[in-house]
Amino acid sequence: MKNTFQALPTTRREFLQWGGKGIGLLAFSQFAPSFLVQSTLAATPAPEKDRSILVLVQLAGGNDGLNTVIPYEDPEYYRLRPTLGIKKADALRIDDHLGLHPSLAGLHALMGEGRAGIIQNVGYPNPNHSHFRSGEIWETGSQSSEFLPSGWIGRFLDNACAGDDGTAGSGGDPVAVHVTNELPQSFLSGKPHSTFGLRNGGNRSKENLAFLEKLVKDDDHEANANASFLRATMMDALVTEQRVQKIINGYRPESVYPGNGFAQSLRNVASLISAGLSTRVYFVSLGGFDTHSNQANTHANQLRTLSEGLAAFQKDLISKKLDSQVLTMTFSEFGRRPNENESRGTDHGTAAPLFVMGSALKGSLYGTPPSLNNLPKNQDLTFSTDFRQVYATVLDKWFSAPTDQVLGKTYAPLPFI
Amino acid sequence: MKLDLSPQDAWQPLPASQWNEDAARHLLRRAGWAAQPPEVARLMKDGLRPSLERLFPAKANLLPSPRLITNYQAAAPGYVKKLKEAESREQRQVLQREQRERQQQAMQDLSIKWLQFASRPENAATEKWAYFLSDIYVVSQEKVNSPSFIYRHIDILRQNALGTAPALTKAVSRDPAMIRFLDLQDSRKAAPNENFARELFELFVLGEGNYTEDDIKQAARAFTGYRLRETDFQFAANQHDDGPKTVFGKTGKFTGDDVIDLAYTQPAASRFVPQEMGKFYLSEEVLSQTYLTPLGDWWATTGYDLRQLAHRFFGSRLFFDPAFRGNYIKRPIQFYLGLVQDLNINVAPYPRHSLNTLRLMGEDLYRPPNVRGWVGGRLWINSGTLNARRQLVETLFATVTEENLNADEQVELVAARSQGIGTFTVTEERLEKMLQSMSATQITDRFLDYFLPVKVNATFHDNVLTFLTGEKEESKRVPRLRNTAITLLQSPEYQLC
Repeated sequence: MKNTFQALPTTRREFLQWGGKGIGLLAFSQFAPSFLVQSTLAATPAPEKDRSILVLVQLAGGNDGLNTVIPYEDPEYYRLRPTLGIKKADALRIDDHLGLHPSLAGLHALMGEGRAGIIQNVGYPNPNHSHFRSGEIWETGSQSSEFLPSGWIGRFLDNACAGDDGTAGSGGDPVAVHVTNELPQSFLSGKPHSTFGLRNGGNRSKENLAFLEKLVKDDDHEANANASFLRATMMDALVTEQRVQKIINGYRPESVYPGNGFAQSLRNVASLISAGLSTRVYFVSLGGFDTHSNQANTHANQLRTLSEGLAAFQKDLISKKLDSQVLTMTFSEFGRRPNENESRGTDHGTAAPLFVMGSALKGSLYGTPPSLNNLPKNQDLTFSTDFRQVYATVLDKWFSAPTDQVLGKTYAPLPFI
Repeated sequence: MKLDLSPQDAWQPLPASQWNEDAARHLLRRAGWAAQPPEVARLMKDGLRPSLERLFPAKANLLPSPRLITNYQAAAPGYVKKLKEAESREQRQVLQREQRERQQQAMQDLSIKWLQFASRPENAATEKWAYFLSDIYVVSQEKVNSPSFIYRHIDILRQNALGTAPALTKAVSRDPAMIRFLDLQDSRKAAPNENFARELFELFVLGEGNYTEDDIKQAARAFTGYRLRETDFQFAANQHDDGPKTVFGKTGKFTGDDVIDLAYTQPAASRFVPQEMGKFYLSEEVLSQTYLTPLGDWWATTGYDLRQLAHRFFGSRLFFDPAFRGNYIKRPIQFYLGLVQDLNINVAPYPRHSLNTLRLMGEDLYRPPNVRGWVGGRLWINSGTLNARRQLVETLFATVTEENLNADEQVELVAARSQGIGTFTVTEERLEKMLQSMSATQITDRFLDYFLPVKVNATFHDNVLTFLTGEKEESKRVPRLRNTAITLLQSPEYQLC
């Protein structure tokens, strides 16, 4: 039987038609990894185009919360930070007690419009000071002493796609996209899901791509389950690659994004949202927050990059009337020590504030600030909001997903959405 | 999975009538990395049994200590001293930063030397076996924080890999990397640390659910007093709880070694390693107890001899069953070393080529995600890791522009060349030679036979031939040949073994 080569599907409808011809949509043999906790997952509606989208922004290295949301009326703050303390006159006023770092003008403006908010003093019990381990705790949503093989987003996807066969969401769109080289731990899941990593490299030869597509597509010989899985995943990757490149190249943003990598990542995320992909979660990362020495300038720069990028992103979404669909949230593996060290920097700490951004926020300041009273040297902050409460809020109020099953426990949600 | 074999027949030796080239290739790909033609020929000439004895010998070849590991080890005491004597925080920070750099470079040196060592046909099976054991006796550099300890850990595994399992477990209980990884040096009479005892039962010997919490608490007492004195194991008798303990229903003044021996009297011990072998070498789907029990019962009678277990397992009817052909997703290490062997090239001494790629494919050497090691299977595969695999193939066919190498890489290149190791990519010359000496059909057949673990159908074959011969311009025929090879190695079929 001769198969004539046809152009690859580039629209959702085409992909569904191709699915009917036997490529891409395949049923897998049931396998139950021993670590899967749930056996029956509550059915939530499968992701669709108009559903809510979450954008996760990782601040890698441990963002210094105390210099981000500044308690400028507290003399303890200046006692702990003789050189690093931000002066009240320089801070951007939030209220009588708190101000934002001067670099965060964009976010400050958004807060004034009710489009951005701060959740204060977020952390967890028995905090860990290792980048690797604390980051893992945040991304897997685990207790400090347990090791989970899946991420909280992965488990959300396991729930949301209960009726899915695991290939590129019925429709050909990846369910989650990461603008990082590696798959974020947050995305690790019990079942296979079609995630997509936006590549920052050069383009491949068209002929090779066409040949590879042919080899994958024309395979009508009987395949074992793993071979089918590989073919489906490869096919998704190829189709998605082409489709995503086209969208990104053709996008016209409604705001000006700075030229740096972080802002461009957000621009690309906006392009995919604007194209109507049914992707639910996006993950971008900004590094440089591990400010052990000479923190002042570095931190100021990273916060400015963050603020300008997020502001451009939100402006773009607003202009395209997409902002009601998108909730953005920052997170970091830990905050930093209240007292500065001898190198004009700060060491690994514990709790810190995080930002949320969107159109549906209720108020702009949540939780309680950390207490600095009588803090002995090198003492860490004690958290007052468990980060899993933030996750619970997102899962419940934003995604309508069964929170307890994803997080393993009940956490009281917060009133920010 | 559907097996036609009964549990009794499963572990019988493969009948001679079923020993053929396909079987030989299956053995080489599963027990090692790839099925190189000279190795296949040797297997056919020698026969299965003698080949197993060669692939799993009485003693594994040892990896000599890489230069930077030796240097790191030599510099360590001096570093500790200097750190103590440092007069300011700045000074300390400088020393610490230098130490971190030394560590990073030593880890790179170790990783690359291991990859080079493991890629050699004479070491492939034993190194994969040691690697399998390291997925049971898991440590991570993240916590161990010492390249020389990591080197020593793998060396301990390698040296004990073909002896008995109890001897291996006992050696690991005194392994500096493990002592540090599982907090054994904090364990004392007044406060026994349960971490090691728990992992000993759960992860090393018995598997989850085959012991009680009391067993763990009591066993933990037996392991008090295990210490690290600088870089070596030392037993601190005054920290050791030498009172009577009750473990698995037996009471006595057990030492750590005694507890290990007790664990190996439990029936679960006889099935644990076979089960792990099934997962690592055969299929993500766990072999059922019906099949594991006969093998486990026999293994116990050998005194838990690992070499004999390997011979039996890899020579068995079950191992060669059609249910296990061409359907195992290659882990990143397998994919990388398999490529190196299939393409008949050497592991490049540049971290960028090998180590970064392994990380992007999801397997960061010596840094498994948690105490359980690597999960594997389909979790190796997502669009990001598939992309990394495709990128690796392209890199192995690209020309190395020496000017683009940094200073360290250039030094490595010179050193490698002086040892006669200089081919890290598939060169133009090789491709040209192939075009000159073989017809398009021969090349197509050769590629499909050598690279892919399954027989493909006529459509697939024709697609390859069509692409290979699709370039009419003379000057573009070598690039077309290159692209044919590259694309085949990026295909879904090549991700399987």
